Amino acid sequence: MEGKYYGQKAPPVRENRLNAGDGFAGKCCASLLESGRGGLLTQTCRDFWQGNACQMSLTLMMATTIEKAAIVLHGPVGCGSNMHNLGPAVHKGKKCRGLVPAPLRWLSTNLTEGDIIGGGEAKLMEAILYADREFRPEIIFVVSTCAPSVIGDDADEIVTRAGAGTRARVVLLDCPGFKSRVVASAYDAFYHGLIRYLPLEGGPGAGKKGLGPADGARAVNVFNSTSIGQVDEAEIARLLGELGLRARFYAEYSNAGKFRGLTGAALNVSLCDIHDDYMLGFLWQRFGMPYVMGGMPIGYGGTRGWLESVAGPLGLGREAGEVADREEGRLRATVEPLLAGLRGKRVLSVGGIARVMAVSMALKELGLEPIGFHAYHYDDTAIPLLERTQAELPDLPVAVSSQDFELFGAVRKFGPDLVISHSGTQGLLAKMGVPAIQLYDVDRPCLGYKGLHSLAKRIAFAFANVSFQKRLAAKARFPYNKEWPKHDPYGHIKTT
Amino acid sequence: MESFIESPRFSCALGGAIATVTSLPGVIPIVHAAMGCAGNLNSAVYFGGGYLGDGYCGGGHIPTSAVTESEIVFGGAKRLESEIGNALGLIEGRLFVVLTGCMVEIIGDDALACVKTFRDGGSPVISVSTPSFTGHSYGGYELVLEGIFNDYFPAGRKKAGKLVNLFGLVPGYDPFFRGDLAEMGRLVRALGFSANTFFTPDQDFRNLESAPGAALNVLFSPAWGLGFAKRFEALHGTPYWVTNLPIGAAATDLFLKELGRKLNVSQKKVENLIDDENKNYYGYFLRTADVIAESDYKFYAATVTDSAYAAPLGFFLQEELGWVVTDSFVTEGLSEGQRLAVGSAYGASGLGGRLAFETGASQIAKRIAGYQPKGKRGSVFDERVPFFVLGSALEKSPCLKAKAKHLSVSYPLYDRLIVTAGYAGYRGGLRLLEDVVSSLVSAKA
Repeated sequence: MEGKYYGQKAPPVRENRLNAGDGFAGKCCASLLESGRGGLLTQTCRDFWQGNACQMSLTLMMATTIEKAAIVLHGPVGCGSNMHNLGPAVHKGKKCRGLVPAPLRWLSTNLTEGDIIGGGEAKLMEAILYADREFRPEIIFVVSTCAPSVIGDDADEIVTRAGAGTRARVVLLDCPGFKSRVVASAYDAFYHGLIRYLPLEGGPGAGKKGLGPADGARAVNVFNSTSIGQVDEAEIARLLGELGLRARFYAEYSNAGKFRGLTGAALNVSLCDIHDDYMLGFLWQRFGMPYVMGGMPIGYGGTRGWLESVAGPLGLGREAGEVADREEGRLRATVEPLLAGLRGKRVLSVGGIARVMAVSMALKELGLEPIGFHAYHYDDTAIPLLERTQAELPDLPVAVSSQDFELFGAVRKFGPDLVISHSGTQGLLAKMGVPAIQLYDVDRPCLGYKGLHSLAKRIAFAFANVSFQKRLAAKARFPYNKEWPKHDPYGHIKTT
Repeated sequence: MESFIESPRFSCALGGAIATVTSLPGVIPIVHAAMGCAGNLNSAVYFGGGYLGDGYCGGGHIPTSAVTESEIVFGGAKRLESEIGNALGLIEGRLFVVLTGCMVEIIGDDALACVKTFRDGGSPVISVSTPSFTGHSYGGYELVLEGIFNDYFPAGRKKAGKLVNLFGLVPGYDPFFRGDLAEMGRLVRALGFSANTFFTPDQDFRNLESAPGAALNVLFSPAWGLGFAKRFEALHGTPYWVTNLPIGAAATDLFLKELGRKLNVSQKKVENLIDDENKNYYGYFLRTADVIAESDYKFYAATVTDSAYAAPLGFFLQEELGWVVTDSFVTEGLSEGQRLAVGSAYGASGLGGRLAFETGASQIAKRIAGYQPKGKRGSVFDERVPFFVLGSALEKSPCLKAKAKHLSVSYPLYDRLIVTAGYAGYRGGLRLLEDVVSSLVSAKA
């Protein structure tokens, strides 16, 4: 179905490709399923919005992890504002993966009024050539933003022309923020760039389908994401190792050479259905590489299901079941006592749709009570997970929202004991006086059995002392008027 | 055509405007732009400004029109109107400021007309045009001041007499803006005046409202806000004084003498204050001198800062610590006229270093590396060792490589938390002393 997009200059956005939307509130996953797959969410908007991220910021998160790459941000100077946070994060990410950390090398084309009138193409060309000369990178990512898109710069043409004379491969990542309210479009924008401008075969080992040269184990490509830390990769590698599989992680923290070896694996494996369907679909179509998208390995059931999804096509189903049995047996004994006094605690989950559903099911397994979730967006890649969650938690209220005022209203209205929430909301929740933990944390395990153990520990730790939150709540002021908590938190979501 | 920039140490006009508005008490931003602008630009100072955080209606609270492709094609006025109306109903604030992003400016949305409807209905809403392609964050600060103090507040207000407004430090992009304003406010008050610092937590919206009645505007920036201060004077009749932010006793003594003259404070009162402050300052400083002298903490030094900090920081290092300043890198984009003004403020401070207008991290790193011993045996004739860089967090890694000491004092600053710290005045000078020497002795454990 997606085949038609791969050959296009510009990547698709999820609103067009996958019925994506970001406003919904309903009684259960089934109601979201019904509205979502019917395309209703694409017709939904709000009459009040608050600022968030955009597809450009998430595209940058992925691109900055690539080794020996430089970035040319094509736009006015402000679009690079996030780079100063990404620098330290990527530095740490490289270091813990045993890669050589290097300062981020990036340029802003700094579009000014004259460029807006006359076009920014010449400046883009100049910046690419300078980056090639000055930084000697293997890859130059050109990240194209709103302004050049509105004025009609042909960044693809410039990238192609520049690339003919540069030592580096020049890759266009076309991701103007206004084209999508769904930041998940960034994943497709990034992968589209790899697909269109980088060789993904022909490197060492690329032809040896599935056989690792070193240890004889079968190689599988596992697709990571910015929210998946090295500790999670290690846990996944450990579990796959138990099945005699060697995990090679893509696409973050890869490099040009590693991309050329991409095809030398038996199977492509996703760690998040929402993240990878565009790329895995392409690798299947172009190279015939089979792939699996088995949800996120979070919780007992989630991890078992994910392991089985990987093992099935490789004929390792029985082994996967044995690994899961063994790991679960060991873990239950250590996890049970951790949460002894916390059974029945009511928990709201907030963040990426795949994670909030996986975590909600894990919470149920741990004996806590999931009372609902705010998923940052909906698109059709979430359908299998929504069906699974509906079966496990048939009465779980759901909202699609990335908005602080809706989160504020929901927390006031539903009074959760704990919120498991995406980064960027922790300050708000602390000031509201609610114990909260990060939905993910790249410094701590979140996936697999280690991740479940860590989740239980983190929940228990959150309740161990809530003095910080209580004191803040007594003093904090919020911008919303007194009436707001009495209203329907989702009342500003409208159908167009 | 301005050239491309390597790792710019500022964001766009909208970014500076967001940082400014979200740091003003009772003022609410409404960002007319794509969904990501408010979030991304806010996080520039949330992290890079020494973890400034979100504030009352910053971060994820910032109302935005979140325009999409359909608004870009058909115009975003209707969406903006709906956003303003709902923000007024939902958010508590004294003044709502619409700030515009590049994409809505390119398509020609008329935010002023939208705002006028609400203003006519009695709602406190203004619009400030802040397209990113017309300037960067320092310009955005200026535009917001202009919009609030010169366009919104009516002219002809009665003078309050003993009141001074302090301007020139850009929130977040100057990570020490709060500490510096607080100390400058303290000294103004010690002369018997009230001080509007606007951006410190003790202030509220009444401080903004009282500003047009002030006796003097002090502008701590050689490059920014001059046009604003001139127009302020024309409209409200408040004279302005552009001066360096004083860091340490030597500079602050001079500052207070001049301020006393501007405000007609008796010489005796000024001198008494200076004496008291010096007694305190040197009471601490003299005991620190022991470790500095014994350890031979004397350095060649470079600073990497914005224009407001370049001369003041260099002056402190040269005059109070007796260091040799080789380079002062000024990192924000400046016009020719602004460069001249910064150059003359620098020259007037009697600084012997080289003033360079450079923001590129790798260019600055090259210059610093150039001071290190070269060649096989490390023998050179033009080395500058030992070397200390007071710059941003971007300088940390090149300094490690070049075996130079380093302290983060400028944007982006993400290896320290900045709360009350400021380097201005007497207290700030001691704080700087403490931070510099701490960074040296921290290697001992």
